[in-house]
Amino acid sequence: MMKKFGEVILLLLLLSFVPHAEVTRYSLPGKPALTRCRSPEKETFTCWWEPGSDGGLPTTYALYYRKENSEMVYECPDYHTAGKNSCFFNKNDTSIWVNYNITVVASNALGSTFSDPVDIDVVYIVKPNPPEKVAVTVMEDKGWPFLRVSWEPPHKADTRSGWITLIYELRVKLEGENEWEMHLAGQQKMFNIFSLRSGGRYLVQVRCKPDHGFWSEWSSASHIKVPDYFHRERSVWILITVFFAFIFLIVSWCIHINSHSLKHCILPPVPGPKIRGFDKQLLKNGKSEDIFSALVVSDFPPTSSSNYEDLLVEYLEVYIPEEQELILEESKDLQDGCLKPKGSTFDSDSGRGSCDSHTLLMDKCGEAKDDGRQTDQDGTQTGSEAQRQQAAWEQEALTYAHEDMISPDMSSGRVKTWPSVFSPLPQYSLSPLNQPSSLETAKQHCLSDSLFPPSSLSSYLTQPGQSTKEALRSSCSDFCSSNKQPLLLHPQPDARHQLQARSDVSISSISHKEAPAGLQLPTVRSTEYVEVHTVNEEDMVLLHPVPSGHSHGKGCLQTHQGEDYSKVNGVDKNNVLLLQREVMEEQVDMCPCENQDANGATESYCTSSAQKSIPCIHTALPVQEEKAVNGYVDTATMFPLPIH
Amino acid sequence: LSATVIQRSVWALLLWPSLLTVSMPLDCKEEQGSLSGCTSISQEKLLDRVIHHAELIYRVSEESCSLFEEMFLPFPLQLQSSQAGYACITKALPMPSSKSEIQQISDKWLLHSVLMLVQSWIEPLVYLQTTMDRYDHAPDMLLNKTKWVSDKLISLEQGVVVLIKKMLDEGMLATTYSEQGLFQSDVQPEMLESVMRDYTLLSCFKKDAHKMETFLKLLKCRQTDKYNCP
Repeated sequence: MMKKFGEVILLLLLLSFVPHAEVTRYSLPGKPALTRCRSPEKETFTCWWEPGSDGGLPTTYALYYRKENSEMVYECPDYHTAGKNSCFFNKNDTSIWVNYNITVVASNALGSTFSDPVDIDVVYIVKPNPPEKVAVTVMEDKGWPFLRVSWEPPHKADTRSGWITLIYELRVKLEGENEWEMHLAGQQKMFNIFSLRSGGRYLVQVRCKPDHGFWSEWSSASHIKVPDYFHRERSVWILITVFFAFIFLIVSWCIHINSHSLKHCILPPVPGPKIRGFDKQLLKNGKSEDIFSALVVSDFPPTSSSNYEDLLVEYLEVYIPEEQELILEESKDLQDGCLKPKGSTFDSDSGRGSCDSHTLLMDKCGEAKDDGRQTDQDGTQTGSEAQRQQAAWEQEALTYAHEDMISPDMSSGRVKTWPSVFSPLPQYSLSPLNQPSSLETAKQHCLSDSLFPPSSLSSYLTQPGQSTKEALRSSCSDFCSSNKQPLLLHPQPDARHQLQARSDVSISSISHKEAPAGLQLPTVRSTEYVEVHTVNEEDMVLLHPVPSGHSHGKGCLQTHQGEDYSKVNGVDKNNVLLLQREVMEEQVDMCPCENQDANGATESYCTSSAQKSIPCIHTALPVQEEKAVNGYVDTATMFPLPIH
Repeated sequence: LSATVIQRSVWALLLWPSLLTVSMPLDCKEEQGSLSGCTSISQEKLLDRVIHHAELIYRVSEESCSLFEEMFLPFPLQLQSSQAGYACITKALPMPSSKSEIQQISDKWLLHSVLMLVQSWIEPLVYLQTTMDRYDHAPDMLLNKTKWVSDKLISLEQGVVVLIKKMLDEGMLATTYSEQGLFQSDVQPEMLESVMRDYTLLSCFKKDAHKMETFLKLLKCRQTDKYNCP
């Protein structure tokens, strides 16, 4: 019992020891492996291997090789020269162009393990040593530095005899940078590096390779510092700066020279109104009389015109009913809507922008007319309304025929407008509400701000009975104040010059070329027409009464019968052309000027205006007396040229 | 005696054109008053040109070999290429295999070795071209390179012959082409076998080209500096 118990205990003890005993088991060595074989000069070579596990027992390694075409196995001649786990083949043992079959064997007490065989040919495992004696120098080429790198092949490699042919490669970089710049140098032993940074520190390395092998390691870095050629770069920049400054100066000088034309190109001048004699200061002062007096041109109406043919323009008879006159009065925009006859001389003082061209003038005046309509504070008339009224007016014109206020040809009598201004208003004609005994030529001097809109005329015509002077607003077309507007009023049934001078008409224009034939006035006994004869040299409009009228050929209109609104009373401060209603007996003497005028031979207007202009405005009656009953209107006095 | 004389004269007569074809371009008299008027090349320059030729041939053959390896050779076989049953055709030629051995060889023998190598590779390269054409997807570059190498080898041979004549004063006949090659066979080989054989051919040629180049360079060294060269 005790024995058995003891055996069991012993067995247990033995079993407990067994695990400990297994720790120290021995085994075969692990399989070694040849890692690489290298030959530095194609005359010797070395092979290294990696041992496997040693299996716990001391292990020895042996290298065996076999050359091709031979079954002889040789062992490594030298295990020590090249270090641990290596085999060195010296010159005598090295054959080139011959395949070696190399195997490493690891052996320990238990056995040996063979590695996998490796075939090598020495020619293909050449890895030379790095090039030696790498020298870097700074050299100059026309002031620009460059690096010259020179080296020598590794001393072991026999390149001199041609046994090995090496090609070289070098690399350069600035200190502190990461990018290398590679250069392949071929078989030469010298190389130049250009494009250097001035003052930079460079690192240079060289390596080599046979034409059938591996690259060598890089040689140790050579440091080189490039001298500063900063001043050269600086001089270039200075040159460039000077050059550009020079160009800049030239350009700015050119711009300065041409500044005016450039300004005209870029910022064309905006034309503004200009009226000769108009003084803004006076306007600010608020004395309208002064202003208006200043505007009166001494030599208006044109009494002497060297070339009054130029002043002959077509006429326009414009009607403005009461409402429209209001509108027109308050239109203040058209300050420069001026009529200019064709070919008339322009005043240099005038607002060129609007008066420079006929078309422009037309547009301007047309705009002004529209503006006048639109700025109508009464808002009674609209454009469409005007049109309707115009149409209505034309119809009315026909109806007026029996009233003998309207010439039979009125409707057709397209009163020719001022070509420059009134072409859109060709169909105006004057409805003779009154005997147009008085020349309404003065109307040409009406300085209302706007032109006669057709509507105004038409609406006016619808009210034939309207006779108040106030109703008759002298909404007349604007004239350039400086302009001498010839007004040709030919009431006579002249083929060439036809006029229908209406008493209420502020402007009548008749194309002296075209014949508004049929404006036969003789039938209208009560209507007296004034005919503008000519415009003499002094830019004076010479008028003479219609033959049917008074025989007074002096330019004084005859007396008229009935209500006659042919006389322009004046222009009130609202630019309303005040027509006076005259009765037969009224002999409005409009010839006072003539009396003044010593020249009786000619039918001329009084050109003196300055002294009489102002009083004309204020009252109608005084004006009435002043003005010639003959129908001539001293436009100069009647209508000073105010501008609202 | 008369029979041998007649025989030799007949041989001379028969071989007369071939002599001309070989020697005519070389028959430029270097002495003054040459009849042909062609300018002869100096020995050094000729040697340089021959060396240059050999270098180029080696480089192109190396490229061709690596191309072929990439295209056709499965990776495992690359390691065993030398173990394959295909030995180099020039195995039989006695060649020096180390620098020390070369040092012991004379110039004449060096030149003759080169010539032997060149001449033994002319036909196999021609054969290689035909086999390469049979491959389905052989790249044009590979075909062009092998063609180029084959052509250049012929001119290299001519150069070496001239060189031998100049240096060694020996007249030799160039290799004559024969349409029938050693490698022609009617049986279409198996693809893998063909690939292996061709690869072996290329790699062996590459090695031999390197041999030629090295021999010629050593020869040049010996011309300039007899004592320090191997």
